Amino acid sequence: MKLRETTIGRSLFRSPDRETERDQAAGHWSNFLLHLYPVKVRRRELHFSFSWYLGVTSVVLLGSLVVSGVYLMFFYVPSPSSAYGDIQTIQTQVAFGQFIRNVHRWSAHLMVLAVAAHMARVFYRGAYKSPREFNWVIGVMLLVLTLLLSFTGYLLPWDQLAYWAVTVGTSMADFVPIIGGGARDVLLGSDQVGAATLLRFYVLHVALLPLLMVGLLMVHLWRWRKDAMLDQTDGGGEA
Amino acid sequence: MNRGVDRREFLSRGWKAGVVMIGCAGAWTSWDLLRPLPGSGLSGVIKTVAGDEVPADTAVYVRTAHTYLTRIGDEVVALWQKCPHLGCRVSWCDNSGEFECACHGSKFNRAGEHRSGPAPRGMDRFAVTVNADGIVEVDTGAVIQGPPPGSETIDEPPRGESCS
Amino acid sequence: MSDLDPRVVQGRRVLGVVPGQPPGGDRKVPDEQDLVMVSPHLLVRHAVVALTVLLLVLIVAVLFDAPLREVANPFETPNPEKAPWYFAALQELLSHFHPMVAGVLVPGAIVGGLIALPYIDRSRALQPRLRKVAVATFTTFLVVWVVLTLIGFAFRGPNWGWVWPWNEWHGEL
Repeated sequence: MKLRETTIGRSLFRSPDRETERDQAAGHWSNFLLHLYPVKVRRRELHFSFSWYLGVTSVVLLGSLVVSGVYLMFFYVPSPSSAYGDIQTIQTQVAFGQFIRNVHRWSAHLMVLAVAAHMARVFYRGAYKSPREFNWVIGVMLLVLTLLLSFTGYLLPWDQLAYWAVTVGTSMADFVPIIGGGARDVLLGSDQVGAATLLRFYVLHVALLPLLMVGLLMVHLWRWRKDAMLDQTDGGGEA
Repeated sequence: MNRGVDRREFLSRGWKAGVVMIGCAGAWTSWDLLRPLPGSGLSGVIKTVAGDEVPADTAVYVRTAHTYLTRIGDEVVALWQKCPHLGCRVSWCDNSGEFECACHGSKFNRAGEHRSGPAPRGMDRFAVTVNADGIVEVDTGAVIQGPPPGSETIDEPPRGESCS
Repeated sequence: MSDLDPRVVQGRRVLGVVPGQPPGGDRKVPDEQDLVMVSPHLLVRHAVVALTVLLLVLIVAVLFDAPLREVANPFETPNPEKAPWYFAALQELLSHFHPMVAGVLVPGAIVGGLIALPYIDRSRALQPRLRKVAVATFTTFLVVWVVLTLIGFAFRGPNWGWVWPWNEWHGEL
């Protein structure tokens, strides 16, 4: 007996028997996770050469980052006196700690690559053209957020690599006219990278930026779903 | 036809103005709230070494003030270690008699004036006073911006190989 | 039940059977613009991609450890000091130009340009050969950026001087 046909199964899925395509579509719509997807897509979207699957790769890496990041949060206190020692503890005492930290680090690097490559692929496919202009804009924002998340995370181990890379990165803000100096102070919480900076970058890295990221990603996927049925054939040479 | 703003138009503009005002208030609050607290980082007057211990051919590093002391003529100069380019620590190179920044290769002469490299100005500095006991006091509360490039006031060409 | 129900054939409910040949011939040629069901066609592909990506991450994470240097020290700048690799191109620019140009104007222009792209390029053409200007501009930018990133990442050593990566390695991940 199938789960779908039991009382509990029906309360879970609420979908009708999947006999016809119409039934399948109804089941698709009534599924919370599947509602991120369109019901149908153009056949060409299935091929590797169309998207190189870079969008879904980015989402998978984001998921891997969230999971490994939460593990790391259990063992990490964002203060200059403990941060570095916590990383050493994670690497030497926590079971699978080194592995989880590796997953987080390499997923982050791969995600920057995947998101940038996704943008390039979308460009060469011409998929930013009307009426999808605004989804491209959201995509650019997501790229910037990916870089910011990576950069804020870079400080957290509190090693020499982190300290000076962030010193250099934030000093650039100084040269923005008018608000630059103030913006740098607000980011650092001090006139140099220190305890206040570490706490601020931590809050940005684990709360504010991920929330923005997931929120914008939902809009991005929603627009992709809405536009999936568009017949975007070549408009020819007309300008 | 156009008889000014009617009630409907007034209310419509009113709520939009309200949204903008709440947005501005939120931005202002966040900005003010996140400004550095007083006392974070360097601040205040820091006592360093005796004035007659500051040499005229090299630089003394004062760790508590993140500052180099050097003597130019009769004056003691306090140069902040932070490179005006992108904030790396500038180190004193005894071999060449210059300040050198490892990050992007900026070089400054002993007076902290820009000599070469991408830094936009000379090294930033602090006001210096010599108190009654002859001790040099550095006021790290206010940063004085370094002089613009191309204005070397001392004639001390590099005396040797750079330290890199 | 559906396997036995004679009214359902290949997921479609049969309303009636008409004798003769279909007008389009016996075999349907799949068209790239056809609509296909996401479940299962796209979903299984995405599942395969997800498993492949996670397998790759797992292998990399088992083979290579994330770097951890000495504890942060405000009194000593490492030489060379390198930004994360995705900012290596910016750092390379910063060593050549005034920070106002390389640190503010260039990144601002890149982000602004990317955002404005769909509003500047209004042509409907999709094939690269029909939109040479856009493709050439974007490709040039991409190549320049990748080259600058490679230079900043692998070809720069102490005091930001030029090194050959096969002689001495200074890249940091």
